[in-house]
Amino acid sequence: MKNFSSAIQVIPLEHYIILCTTLFCIGLVGVLYRRNTIIILMCIELMFNSVNLLLTAFSAYHSDPAGQVFVFFIMIVAAAEVAVGLSILVMMKRNVDSVDINLLNRLKW
Amino acid sequence: MSALIFTIVLGIILLYLGFVKNKAILAPVAIAGLMITLFLLFKDWGLGSKYFHDMIVFDNFSIAFNISMVIITILIFFFGIDYYEALEFHVAEHYALMIFALTGAFLMTSFSNLIMLFLGIEILSIPLYVLAGGKKYSYRSNEASFKYFMLGSFATTIFLFGVALVYGASATFYLPEIKIFISQFNGHLPPMMLVGLLFILIGVAFKVAVAPFHFWSPDVYEGAPTLVTAFMSTVVKTAGFAAFFRLLNMGLLPLPVPLEKALWVMTGLTLLIGNLAALKQTNFKRLLAYSSIAHSGFIMLAMLSQHNTSASVILYYTFVYSLATVPIFIIFILMKRAADGSEELSIFRGLYKQKPWIAVFLTILLMSMAGIPPTSGFMAKYQVFVLSISQGYLGISIVAILMAVIGIYYYFFVMREVFTEREQSYPIQVSKINAALIVVCGVAVVMLGIFVWNLPI
Repeated sequence: MKNFSSAIQVIPLEHYIILCTTLFCIGLVGVLYRRNTIIILMCIELMFNSVNLLLTAFSAYHSDPAGQVFVFFIMIVAAAEVAVGLSILVMMKRNVDSVDINLLNRLKW
Repeated sequence: MSALIFTIVLGIILLYLGFVKNKAILAPVAIAGLMITLFLLFKDWGLGSKYFHDMIVFDNFSIAFNISMVIITILIFFFGIDYYEALEFHVAEHYALMIFALTGAFLMTSFSNLIMLFLGIEILSIPLYVLAGGKKYSYRSNEASFKYFMLGSFATTIFLFGVALVYGASATFYLPEIKIFISQFNGHLPPMMLVGLLFILIGVAFKVAVAPFHFWSPDVYEGAPTLVTAFMSTVVKTAGFAAFFRLLNMGLLPLPVPLEKALWVMTGLTLLIGNLAALKQTNFKRLLAYSSIAHSGFIMLAMLSQHNTSASVILYYTFVYSLATVPIFIIFILMKRAADGSEELSIFRGLYKQKPWIAVFLTILLMSMAGIPPTSGFMAKYQVFVLSISQGYLGISIVAILMAVIGIYYYFFVMREVFTEREQSYPIQVSKINAALIVVCGVAVVMLGIFVWNLPI
């Protein structure tokens, strides 16, 4: 653990923050602009994982295990969420035979 | 804590009861279980017990909100007896998922650590994504479910990013420690902390559908099965605001100035958008969705007034609002059945001619939603305004009062339909349980307005 933390600390913290923010923004833009629902799910996963990376980096820098414990919780919840999301997607695909998000336009205003 | 464990076990029991081919026993078991939960909650009153290294604190605040949510869930389950009669498969899952969501709601009212807040929000939300898609072959239900899932998890990631930044700045998830950390800086927070807190607030605001993060809510409310909509607009809303208030109260008060400004802007926008958009609606479920956004605005006003009685005012407001909302949805479902699935406002036309007593109770309930004096809805709004004006927020209070007046218009629009005659009215049938529910809630709404309580929480 000590070695691992010091290995992480070789790289300055700012680099982690910039990397994670960039990953988060890629995911965010993907959710907003992509039309394929499966890719949107992947982008949401990317956002979850960028948060995980950020928490791990902070945890190593603060020498505090709480952040890494939180990462486990996020991984489990993200897995559960994606399982539910994919099944909703399958249900939708059966009804309309497409995964294009532009079809979701019956409910508005 | 025993209540929390008991509800989880109850959910699992209900799930397995699905194997028994008798769906008539589901609702009684669920209701009996919730009654026991209610008893367990009352037993914990005043103890303030802490669990899991202080990550969960069952103080009076959380118990009071839990009790109010359990009561509303019991009402919704009574409504479910009639609602699920036509459904053949997977009835047990509906009840079980609602119980699981209720467990998440318990966590949301009792966290003192951001990890528990996150888990609570997720345990509440994931069953709801499934419940919103409860009508598997209905296209609109699918759409509601998927929209809710996508925007919900999107909001969760934003919330989590905020948590990560707050952790980076303060090295803790524990709210009282975050409060100490914030107080060190005398209002000049490091940017990372400020951005993190803003993201957390955005995430929570998304969950309670506060403008400008409300766009999912009318769509989801309209598309979801009506019973689930009733659950979402009452229990979930109560849980969301309890969590929001607890987050502010335990961790962030006194609020840093930029955050406070952002929250006030959100309050004003919620009041304006909720009420003004409701004026244009012709679909009744959508109307109720916007009215629920409008009510969020009033609750935000009470929350931001930051006074000792804020918690009690929010509890009273959410409870009274939920108590009026559930029977309105019941009456709506009766009308919808009679009108072959139409959800337009015009299905209420001719109700007075046909079933005068339902029309009278609907009027009382709508009056409570609008805030007309003999009902408890008036007292709830009155308390909010007294609180915000006494704390010196005069401008926003005037906006809120104006918006409350506008709100009366669209509730009265429904009332006008009820009392307008129609040549050929739809024959509606009311089961005994539904009739009893409507009467009990109608009477309770009036009685609570006369005997106003203020819990010391």
